[in-house]
Amino acid sequence: MHYPWWYVPFLTAPMLIAVVAVVHVLVAHYAVGGGLFLALETQYAYRTRHTAYLEYLRGHAWFFILVTVVFGAITGVGIWWTIGLASPLATEVLIQTFVFGWAMEYVFFVLEIVSAFVFYYFWGRLPQQTHLTVGWIYAGSAWMSLVLITGITAFMLNPGAWPQHRTFWVGFLNPQFVPQVLARTGGSFLLASLYVYLHASLKVKDPALRNLIASRSARPALLGAVLVVLGGIGWYLFLPESARAALAAAAALNVMMVLIFAVTIAVFVMLYLGPYRNPGWLTPGFAILLFVAGLAAFSTGEFIREAVRKPYIIYNVVMGNQLLVDEVPAAQRRGFLETGTWTRALVAARYPQAMRGREIDEAVLLRLPEEDQRFLGQVIFQYQCNNCHAAQVGYSAVGHLTRGWSPELVRRVLDHLDESTFFMPPWTGTPEEADLLARYLTSIAFPRPGGMEPARR
Amino acid sequence: MDPSSLIGPPSPLGYPAPYWFMAGLKVLGFVLHMIPMNLWFAGILVALLLRRWGGEHARRLSDRLMSQMPILIALGINFGIVPLLFTQVAYHRVFYPATILMGWFWFSIVGLLVVAYYGVYLYAVGLRAGRLRPLHVAAGWTAAVLFVVMGFVFSHAFTLMVNVEAWPEIWQRTAVAGAPAGTALNTGDPQVLPRWLMVFGLALTTTAAYAVADAGLFAVRETGAYRRWTGRFGLALYTVGMVWFAAAGSWYAFGTWIPEVRALMFGPFAVLTALTALSPGLVWLLIVAQRRGATPSMALLAAAAQIAVLALNGASRQVVQNAELRRFLDVTAGRVEVQWSPLVLFVVLFVAGLAVVGWMVVHALRAAQKPAPARG
Repeated sequence: MHYPWWYVPFLTAPMLIAVVAVVHVLVAHYAVGGGLFLALETQYAYRTRHTAYLEYLRGHAWFFILVTVVFGAITGVGIWWTIGLASPLATEVLIQTFVFGWAMEYVFFVLEIVSAFVFYYFWGRLPQQTHLTVGWIYAGSAWMSLVLITGITAFMLNPGAWPQHRTFWVGFLNPQFVPQVLARTGGSFLLASLYVYLHASLKVKDPALRNLIASRSARPALLGAVLVVLGGIGWYLFLPESARAALAAAAALNVMMVLIFAVTIAVFVMLYLGPYRNPGWLTPGFAILLFVAGLAAFSTGEFIREAVRKPYIIYNVVMGNQLLVDEVPAAQRRGFLETGTWTRALVAARYPQAMRGREIDEAVLLRLPEEDQRFLGQVIFQYQCNNCHAAQVGYSAVGHLTRGWSPELVRRVLDHLDESTFFMPPWTGTPEEADLLARYLTSIAFPRPGGMEPARR
Repeated sequence: MDPSSLIGPPSPLGYPAPYWFMAGLKVLGFVLHMIPMNLWFAGILVALLLRRWGGEHARRLSDRLMSQMPILIALGINFGIVPLLFTQVAYHRVFYPATILMGWFWFSIVGLLVVAYYGVYLYAVGLRAGRLRPLHVAAGWTAAVLFVVMGFVFSHAFTLMVNVEAWPEIWQRTAVAGAPAGTALNTGDPQVLPRWLMVFGLALTTTAAYAVADAGLFAVRETGAYRRWTGRFGLALYTVGMVWFAAAGSWYAFGTWIPEVRALMFGPFAVLTALTALSPGLVWLLIVAQRRGATPSMALLAAAAQIAVLALNGASRQVVQNAELRRFLDVTAGRVEVQWSPLVLFVVLFVAGLAVVGWMVVHALRAAQKPAPARG
């Protein structure tokens, strides 16, 4: 551990990333697809001289700015804020590797912001062709920012040959890059249409205009759904073996996979039967249902995408417990407490008798009073386990997972952590440190629930 | 406890570009960020005060500022990406621990910014509708207060980043089994308050320079009386900001700099220090020249000079930051593994992006001469 671990009670710090990321993604895809919608439809409305549709598009552009430029931009920066706090080592690796990718994305962000404002605030004052060009500049920039960030997030799931050849392009053009760009591009088409339906169903009173909007946005939505499916298939094919195994093994992920398939099919059918075949169906109730279903499918997809990476934050590069994969053997040999910057400082300050120069004599730690041993076990828990587990109450709390376990069982499981559950990291410490952690875990484990038959022998 | 024992190892990947290149982009990005940041930090407060207690021209200036504020905030947030990015590349060993120690405060920026930004929009919507209801005004004041609070949190974070000596105490006070709870601020640091106040003083001067530049360059449909009033008000506000900046800056430099920084800033970098301290005087003179009414050429000159003031501040801040850190860490000595092709591609895109932005701005300025069409 190079950095201090941020203790967030109940939820665990990485879950804050999930919260901010899911919220952001629901807006960010609209920021891409919505840009294309505005450019394409404004072009259509100019060509057909459809003033009512133009007026609607102008109103939609305002809604679009309020949602994407404010909330989308801030939550996007918010993800960055949160990963630095909750996952500093992985953030360090991503930033050192892709700093110029992010810098390029910044260029496209600025283009997006300027073009979005010029497009909206100078509506009706710019010549039509210039106005459209600005719209297309927005659409192109937004899609490029999608491409750039997808290269980086896809790297986290499957970095390909990067661990052997640590260059920008090997990491960026990873096996997950094309499938995820495809899926996210499709997702942005689909989600943008759902936002348009929601907005139009609430704002447009003229049935003819509402029907036009419904049918014009149905094809991109259906195309988006197809791209999501194609990208999803590619995503699955290029998953690392462990991620595919996690999908099959974890009960929660099983349920989510069923959920995402069911909801995606429902959205597709509703789009086909509704806006595509019967544009008149676009009522506020129908649009809200479609919108909620789309958001549910997206949120579930994002959660699955994050969950299958376990036990890594960056596959084969950074472990979930904030260690570089390369550092694990040293931590196993010399000790987790000793190889961690902050854990070593803590032991040196609190138990100087255990220090031999910069090294920690673990045998001394085992001779400390019981309370201190439990405390050190808790320190190891915070830095090695709290990434994914709360202690007694909260997200995937260990106290509940170890209900009724004997001290011997706890200790044995620690020795075979990655063997007993393949998406757990290997035990990363010395046997003495495993003893310390076992003492702490035993102290927080709840008893086996009473009244269960057959009774334990 | 030896504070430097809390600084982790450097990244095994090395710096992706030479340090000077990253520091240059960091300072450039920070200067670009400071222009809009100064305007929302002090400008919103000034605008709301003018609206509440000012006369006809004061209210007009307030409305102009607040109707531009949503765009300024969007640009400012985006311009903030670059300095933060290169801070994380070159200063990751101190940036992450400092922000984790005050995790909840740092994290709260996200929520505060969302509320503040929507507050500004709500106010701007009221302005656009021609009727500011109590809700709009309350939203504006909420945003003004929140931006000042966010500035306070930023001052804490960036002073804590270089004040490694404060880490052990904060950590031990707030940790749960060695893991910081993220509930501490850098309150024991004597630099926090003067630095925050100094930036606020600077922000007042930028707001004043912006008001004068806006009157001289863009307020073509406003009356001559408005432009004359703005020239006088700009001078008054700039004077207040400059005095404020001088007082807080003196407190900061003479009262809180450690001997190493003082030796550097009053020794080899004395010219930079002097220019940073005195440069607002030049802008003040340029505004004095416009006290009877802003003119386009002088307004442009004042705006350019204020950007130079901010650039000098950015450069000085960079020198001070490295000097303060040098007791614990030499950030300039990191191993370099240049990523040539992404670097070149970024530079090409940056230049092309500037050209496209320039093209859009030129068209927007031309279009601005026409009246806005009515909404149907």
